[in-house]
Amino acid sequence: MEEQPKVGPTALGKLILFLFVLGLIAGAAYYFRDLIAPGGRDRGAQVNMDEFKKVEAPDTKGITTVSEYKYVPGEKLPPVKGVSAYKWDAKDKVVNFPINVWIGWLPIVAANGGFSPSADSIFAKKYGFKVNLKLIDDPVVARDAFAAGESHVLWGTLDMMVLFAPDLMKDSRSAPRVFQQVDWSSGGDGIIVRGAIGSVADLKGKTVVYAQNSPSQYFINNLLLNAGVQPSTVKHKFTATAFEAAAAFVADKSIDACVSWAPDIYNIPDKVKGTRVLTTTAEANKLIADVWAARADFAKDHPEVIKGLVAGIFDGMDRLADPTQREKAYQWMAEGYGMQADEVRAMAQDAHSTNFAENKGFFLNANDPANFERTWKNVTFVYRELGLIDTPVRFDEVMDFGALQELDRAGSFAHQKDESRASFAPTSYKKISAESPILTQTIRINFYPNSANVFEPQHDESGKIVPNTLYDPSVAATLEKVARLVGQYERAVVAVVGHTDSSMKGKGTRVEDVKLLSTDRAEAVKQALAKKYNFDPNKFTVEGKGWDEPANADDPTNQALNRRVEVSVYPPESK
Amino acid sequence: MTEAAPAGGPASQKAGPPASAHTGFLRIREELPAWKGWLLGLLPVLALLGLWVVVTTGAAEERVISPTILPSPAEVVASFPLLWFDRAVTRNLAVSFTRVVEGFALGVALSFPLGVLMGAFTKVKAAFTPLTVFGAYLPIPTLVPLTLSLFGTGELQKVMFLALAFSIYLVPLFVAAVDAVDDTYLKTAYTLGATRGQAVSRVLLPISWPDIWQAMRLGFGVGWSYILLAEMVDVGRGLGGIIITSQRRGPREHIYLVLVIIVVVAFLTDKLWAVVGRFLFPYREAKR
Repeated sequence: MEEQPKVGPTALGKLILFLFVLGLIAGAAYYFRDLIAPGGRDRGAQVNMDEFKKVEAPDTKGITTVSEYKYVPGEKLPPVKGVSAYKWDAKDKVVNFPINVWIGWLPIVAANGGFSPSADSIFAKKYGFKVNLKLIDDPVVARDAFAAGESHVLWGTLDMMVLFAPDLMKDSRSAPRVFQQVDWSSGGDGIIVRGAIGSVADLKGKTVVYAQNSPSQYFINNLLLNAGVQPSTVKHKFTATAFEAAAAFVADKSIDACVSWAPDIYNIPDKVKGTRVLTTTAEANKLIADVWAARADFAKDHPEVIKGLVAGIFDGMDRLADPTQREKAYQWMAEGYGMQADEVRAMAQDAHSTNFAENKGFFLNANDPANFERTWKNVTFVYRELGLIDTPVRFDEVMDFGALQELDRAGSFAHQKDESRASFAPTSYKKISAESPILTQTIRINFYPNSANVFEPQHDESGKIVPNTLYDPSVAATLEKVARLVGQYERAVVAVVGHTDSSMKGKGTRVEDVKLLSTDRAEAVKQALAKKYNFDPNKFTVEGKGWDEPANADDPTNQALNRRVEVSVYPPESK
Repeated sequence: MTEAAPAGGPASQKAGPPASAHTGFLRIREELPAWKGWLLGLLPVLALLGLWVVVTTGAAEERVISPTILPSPAEVVASFPLLWFDRAVTRNLAVSFTRVVEGFALGVALSFPLGVLMGAFTKVKAAFTPLTVFGAYLPIPTLVPLTLSLFGTGELQKVMFLALAFSIYLVPLFVAAVDAVDDTYLKTAYTLGATRGQAVSRVLLPISWPDIWQAMRLGFGVGWSYILLAEMVDVGRGLGGIIITSQRRGPREHIYLVLVIIVVVAFLTDKLWAVVGRFLFPYREAKR
């Protein structure tokens, strides 16, 4: 048989053609790589640390201690539209109130006399409805039950609410309304480190593991930002829950730090050599706020139930003052969680229940350094800077102090006094600085030459004061930034250390005078903070370093950097 | 005997099913043109989509299902650019896919020798059957903390977890594949003087290849349900991370989008397995 004359390319030719086409496709894919496989939002984006200050509109009038919001919550809260979509039996009147495993819920357990709806509960007897406490530990499940109208209430920390709110508000009926703070985490959350990490600044370049989108993430990144460490310079490893983060830290020696919960944060340093607690919410005791939110449609239809819930929880706090009642509540809680009463009792130190007076401070006092507004804005700032949220929700679209104000007018809980404020004995800088600080925040206030007045006005060419001006217009915002940190670390001691530049070094200026000036400036910062935000002056110690410690040892004449005040947070002295 | 034979007698019943089996809408083992098959397959999908549209139409407050639970198809589609660009879904998909492939390769490397040995040798089978039965009833998620403490939190843990999960799934299937080889083939081989090794390598294995291939195809598909478990730890990269993040932080739309993407990818890889299988074992197709 005769061979067919070959038509078309040879085998080699086919191969070359094939490779050529393949190359073209690969080239096109490479050219359009950002379209085909974009790298995502740059997580490692540099955070503009100065943005920290801009969260708050500067206010120069300063110096008041209590200033209550004047508006009515309804003016700012988003209106509820449509037909209410929660499940409700008008005869039985049972509020579905999911909670997680957390000692902060002890007051409501005490008020309810256990987890199941009961006619003997404070809620039933005093306020005419029943409460069904359900253990829903997974926040996502709790959120879904809330969105579906299965539960009327959503448990959470304020930082979780910041993340949940935008999506929940897509339906005005399931928009969360926060009516009450239940507790501050007070030792329940913490950071454990391995090796030679002495303060937050040492975490630079290290690996940290924590549960993403949880209070842990807020905790660590807030600290990093406050310590001037770009979060992108730290290696973040994420887990789904805090338990897994603790397990990962124990299992993987290459992880330098871990953010988790009690009891793990206390057990691990006991069991794993070379690990220690860096900081916990025992010091940062006004950082993580546990609250509950109600569905907007439910709150609108049943304001009396909301008021009863708020009041009943305060009643529960009263009830817990009695030791026998407290024991009973531990027992009920243990039953509800399927734990032993001892295990529940061991959690007692994890949280500080916030009573009526403390709630008033949190919701209503615009000058409280750790109030709802500041906490919300701080969380929003941290998450936005991390690129985690786009269009943040305003605090007053979620916060509803209506029920609190009514109880205030009725005077029902006037006997509950603020117990959250730590008291401080005077101490010296030398004494507290013997240990390394948890973190140091460097701030810059532009002082007028030779002046120690933080609110120094501008001067004209002839040196005369120009009224209603400020030499450093951003001073209020700078102080706000410090106040937030100091407020979050309510129980910690704070050193305010002033530094001057060295421009007059060797020009006849006496070292003592420079030291005195830097001390005066630090003192001025302390006074301004203590006055405006009502801090205990004994919380602060003041030190002036003069020009002895340049900001950057490699560049000692960078005078702009040298003129600074450093605010260091130290663990409280042994209680 | 012809079809036209009078009905009634026992002979005609033997000849073929009653006429009702050949007429009407539903006919047993009916020949169906490909396009009709596709069309029929499309109908339930469209119906489901239609239902989705119906329950998610209107303003947020007027819908049957609130957008905070189930976003509308349009909203899901509209969130696609965000998923594609900001959340880098393709890169995360590549990460997840690589993990599945690596875990699968390792899982097969573990389970294939064991499965074949168990299928071939009764004593091996007796020794390992309790373990495989135990594995079959083991809730796979409980392996996560175990692998965590053994392999740390990095890539190794994910791949090892997947490998374990794959092995547990694949071993019984491999055993069954080798088991299914008819004794006749073995007897013939022995008659021809085959040694023990030859009986395994020239008879058992070649005959069970198509079934083994089928088992791997099924197993690979199942892997996609394990990947989300594997990515619960050291979340961040991978599709599991996107789902966990979207649950906490929104948008909800991305949860559904990622699920669709997983289904599409799993479907495509399954088709690839089928095509390669047809190429490798053409006689398999003819048998049916």
